[in-house]
Amino acid sequence: MSDNIFLKILKPSARGKLWYVFVLIIVLVVVGGLIDAGGVYNKGVDWLKTKTNDMVVLPKTKEIPFRLGLDLQGGTHLVYEADITAVDAKDRDSAVEGARDVIERRVNIFGVAEPVVQVNRTATGEYRIIAELAGVRDVKEAIKMIGETPLLEFKEKRAEKRELTEEEKAGLEEFNRQAETQAEEVLGKVLSGGDFFALAKEYSQDENTKENGGDLGWITEGDNSEIVGIVKDLDKGAITKDLVKTGQGYEIAKLEDKRTKKNPFNDEEAKEVKASHLLICFEGSLSCDNGLSKEEALAKITELKKQANKNNFADLVKANSTEPGADQGGGDLGWFGSGDMVEAFDKAVFAQVVGTISDPVETEFGYHLIYKQAERTVEEYKASHILIRTMTEADILGPQDDWKNTELTGKNLKRAVVQFNPNDNSPEVSLEFDAEGANLFEEITARNVNKQVAIFLDGYAISAPTVNEKISGGKAVISGSFNIQEAKLLAQRLNAGALPVPIELVSQKTVGASLGHESVSNSLRASLIGLILVAIFMIIYYRLPGLLAVISLGIYGVLILAIFKIWPVTLTLAGLAGFILSIGMAVDANVLIFERLKEELKFGKPLRSAIDEGFRRAWPSIRDGNFSTLITCFILIQFSTSIVRGFAVTLSLGILISIFSAIVVTKNLLVLIAGEWLEKRRWLLGVKNNS
Amino acid sequence: MYRIIQKRNIWLTISGLLVAVSVVFLILWGLNFGIDFTGGSLLEVRFTEARPEVGQVQDSLADMNLGSLLVQPVGENEMILRFQDTSEQKHEEVLEKLSGVNALEELRYDSVGPSIGQELKRKSLYAIAVVLIAIVAYVAWAFRKVFKPVASWKYGLAAIIALFHDVMIVLGVFAFLGNFYNIEINSAFVAAILTVLGYSVNDTIVVFDRLRENLPKSDEDFEGTVNTSVNQTITRSINTSLTTLLVLLAILFFGGDTIRDFVLALSIGVFVGTYSSIFLASPVLVVWEKLRSGE
Repeated sequence: MSDNIFLKILKPSARGKLWYVFVLIIVLVVVGGLIDAGGVYNKGVDWLKTKTNDMVVLPKTKEIPFRLGLDLQGGTHLVYEADITAVDAKDRDSAVEGARDVIERRVNIFGVAEPVVQVNRTATGEYRIIAELAGVRDVKEAIKMIGETPLLEFKEKRAEKRELTEEEKAGLEEFNRQAETQAEEVLGKVLSGGDFFALAKEYSQDENTKENGGDLGWITEGDNSEIVGIVKDLDKGAITKDLVKTGQGYEIAKLEDKRTKKNPFNDEEAKEVKASHLLICFEGSLSCDNGLSKEEALAKITELKKQANKNNFADLVKANSTEPGADQGGGDLGWFGSGDMVEAFDKAVFAQVVGTISDPVETEFGYHLIYKQAERTVEEYKASHILIRTMTEADILGPQDDWKNTELTGKNLKRAVVQFNPNDNSPEVSLEFDAEGANLFEEITARNVNKQVAIFLDGYAISAPTVNEKISGGKAVISGSFNIQEAKLLAQRLNAGALPVPIELVSQKTVGASLGHESVSNSLRASLIGLILVAIFMIIYYRLPGLLAVISLGIYGVLILAIFKIWPVTLTLAGLAGFILSIGMAVDANVLIFERLKEELKFGKPLRSAIDEGFRRAWPSIRDGNFSTLITCFILIQFSTSIVRGFAVTLSLGILISIFSAIVVTKNLLVLIAGEWLEKRRWLLGVKNNS
Repeated sequence: MYRIIQKRNIWLTISGLLVAVSVVFLILWGLNFGIDFTGGSLLEVRFTEARPEVGQVQDSLADMNLGSLLVQPVGENEMILRFQDTSEQKHEEVLEKLSGVNALEELRYDSVGPSIGQELKRKSLYAIAVVLIAIVAYVAWAFRKVFKPVASWKYGLAAIIALFHDVMIVLGVFAFLGNFYNIEINSAFVAAILTVLGYSVNDTIVVFDRLRENLPKSDEDFEGTVNTSVNQTITRSINTSLTTLLVLLAILFFGGDTIRDFVLALSIGVFVGTYSSIFLASPVLVVWEKLRSGE
C-alpha cells in the first residue's frame, strides 16, 4: 500500500501532475504573501499567542519594506560632473570611482538610509556622479556637505616639456620664413609710397586695428613698450625703414604724431616720478605684525627722518623699513605715474621737490618717508602699425602646466592627523595612505628624488617639498603655514574623505516628502479603482474563466510585489505606472487565451482539448507581443534616466511574471476545474451549450 | 463578420487626416519642451497660509536676475516657478525671498544643466531609433517563414507605419496641449512614447500572427484572409485595450499630479495604437499586395 503511494508520488498521472503544479502555486503564493504582508502576519502571530496564553507560538517572519524612490518618499537626486581633464585617460575610471566612494562615505555620515551613488559615463565621454539621497529633510545641508569635500591631489613636476617634433620644427620655420617674405613685400610697398592705411587694412594681422588702418591711437611707453620703442626716434609721419621683429611677429610702424601727455581735466602736463620710500607700519595698518602702536611708529619715523639724507636713505630703508623685501630692494619704487599709488602717497610725492625726503606720510600701510629722486614729463605717441605674425613653439605646444597629476589621489587617503613639527613646533597635517597609496607614494618619491612633489588641496598647491629620498611606509606631511585651528579643520575634512577629481553640481531634482506621500496615496487609490474595474469587466465578459483570470491576476500581484521587495526594485511613480501597465499585459495574455478557447469550443471541440488547443494557439501571439515589449524595456533600461529605468524594470518584470501567471496558473486552474459538470454548463465559459 | 478591410479607404483617409493635422500642429507650435530638455530650474512650493498674487511673487524676485522667470499658480495653494538659472545658491535665495512674501513649504525643485538637456535630447532620439530598428528586426524574424503573397519584411514595415502614425498623433496632441494648456514634454514623456511603440507593435503582431496562421489553410484571396484574421482578433484587441485603458484612465483622473501627463500620453498612445493595428497596419498590407499583383 505504502509502496503504491510512493509510486504515485514518483510517477504521477497527468491529473496528478496538475495537482503538483497546483501545490507549487499555493506554496509560491504563501511565501509571496508572507513577504508582502510580513507585518500583518507577525501581528497575527502575536495576537494568537496572547489569545491562546502562549499555547500556539508560530515562528515570525522578517519584515521587508518596499524600497521607495525619491518621488515617493521625498529626497533629492543630484548629478555632479567630474572634471577629468587633468587625469591620464587610463586612470580616469578609477579616479571617478574614487570620487564616488568618497561621496558615498560622506552621505553615509550624513545619515542617509541606503544612498545610491553611481558613476555614469556619457556617450561624449563625460563622467557624471549621480547621488540619490532618499528621505533627506535638509537637502541644502546635504549639498553643502558634498560640496565641501576637499579635493586632494598629488602632483609632480612635468618631467620634461614636450619638444617640437622635427616635422613641427620644419613647419614652424617654413611658416616664419613665409611671414618674413610677406612682411618684406609689404614693407617694400609701404616704402615705395603705398597708402599705409590701405595696406594695413589689407595685410595687417592685428585684428583689433587693421580695420582702422593699423591705428593704435595715443600710446605711452607703459601702454605698449614695443611699438613706442620702434617709433619714438622717428620723425612725425615717418615709417620704419626696416622690419622690426617683436614677440608677435614683424612690425612695420608709422609715427603719426607725438606730444607731451596732458591731464585731460586740467590740461596740466602729466608727470612721472622716480622715488623710493621707507615704511614703518603699526598695529592696525594693513598686514603689520611689528607690534608698534601708532604713536610709537610716528616717534620712530620722526627720529629716522632726522637722520635721513640722500646718501644714507637706501641704507636706512634696508635697516628699518617694515615693507616685506625692503631689506633687499632699498624701497625703490622705480618710475610711476599719477594714480598708480594710494591717494595720500600719490599727493605727497607729486607735490614734493625733486631730491628731497618728505615728512612722515600716513597711509593705510603705515607711515612713509619718501625720497623723490627724479621727475619727468610723459611722451605720448600716435602710431599705426602693420603686423605680420610669426609663430613660436608655444603656439604649437600650447600652455604647459608645470605640474602634472600622479596616480596618487585623495581616494588613497586612509587617515589624516594633526601633529607638530619637532623642529619649530608648528602644526602640520600628517597623511596616512592605504596599501595602494603607500606603494604609489613610494614609486612617486623614488622617481622624484631631489625634485619637488606638490600636494594640491582644492586646486592650490599647499605644500611642495623637495624629495630627499624615496619614502616608504605610506606617510606624508603637509606643512603649510597654518595655525592649529586650520590644521585641525583640514584634518577633519580630509578624514571625511578627499576627492581625487574636482566635481560640479549640474543637476538637481528634489521632491518634498509631503508631495511624495500625496502622489503615492492618490496613485495607489487610483490603481485600485482601475484594477477593480478590470476585475468586474473580466468576470462579466468571460464569466468563469474571467473569474479564474482574476484569481490568477491576484496571484500575479502577490508574486510581483514579493519580487519588488526581495530584489529589491526601487519603486517610483513611473515604476508603479510600469507595474500597472504590466497588469494590462497580463490581462491581455488571458484575454488572448479565452478568445481562442471560445473559438475552439464553438467549433464543437470537447472542453479538455479546447483548453489545450486554446493555450497552444494563443502562445505565439503572447510570445511575440510580449517579446517586442521586452525589447523596448531592455532598451529603456539602457536609457539611463532613473525615472525611465524604473518604469522599464517594473514593466519587464511584470511581463515575465504575467506570462507565467497566464500560461501556468490560469491554465492549471482551468484544467483542474474543467470536468463533466462544466461540460454541461458551457454558458459559464461564455459559449452556448452543444445541442 | 465586419467588412473592415474592404472599406480600407475610409480608415486610411482618417489616419492620413489625423497624421496631417498632427504634422500641422507640430509645425505651427512645435513641442513645449520642459526643463529636462532645455535646462533650467523648476520650483514648486505650497503656501501654508494664503497664496500671494503672481505679480507679488514676480516683484519680489524681480532684481534677482533669474532669466525668464515664469510663475504659474497650480492647485489650491501651490505655485510653480520656472527660471533659467540652475545654481544652488540662487535656489536658496529664491526660497528665502518667497518665504518673505508668505509662509511656504517646498514641494519640489528640479534643476537641469543645459548640457544634460542636450544629452537627453540626443539619448531620446537614439533610444527611439534603436527601439524601432529592434522591432522591425524582430517582426521580420518572427514572420520569416511567411513569404507569399507579401514578403516578411513588409510586415515589419507595415508595423513601423502603424508606429509612426501612433507616435505622430501623440506628438500632435501634445503640441496642441503644449500650446494651449502649457503641458510640457519631459523625460517621462519619452518613456511614454517608447512604451506606446512597444504596445502598438504588440497589438499589430497579434493581428499579423493570426494572419500568418490563416494564410496556408485559407481558401479566400489575400484581402479576404486578412479581413477574417482582423475579425477574429478584433474582440481581443478591443478588450485588451479597454482593460489597459480602464487602469490608465483611473490613474489619469484620480492619480497623483506628477505622473498625469505621462499617463495621458500613454492613454492616447494605447487608444491610437489599437486603432492602427486594426485599421491601418492590415489594410496597408492589402494595398501592397494589390499594387504587386497590379490591380
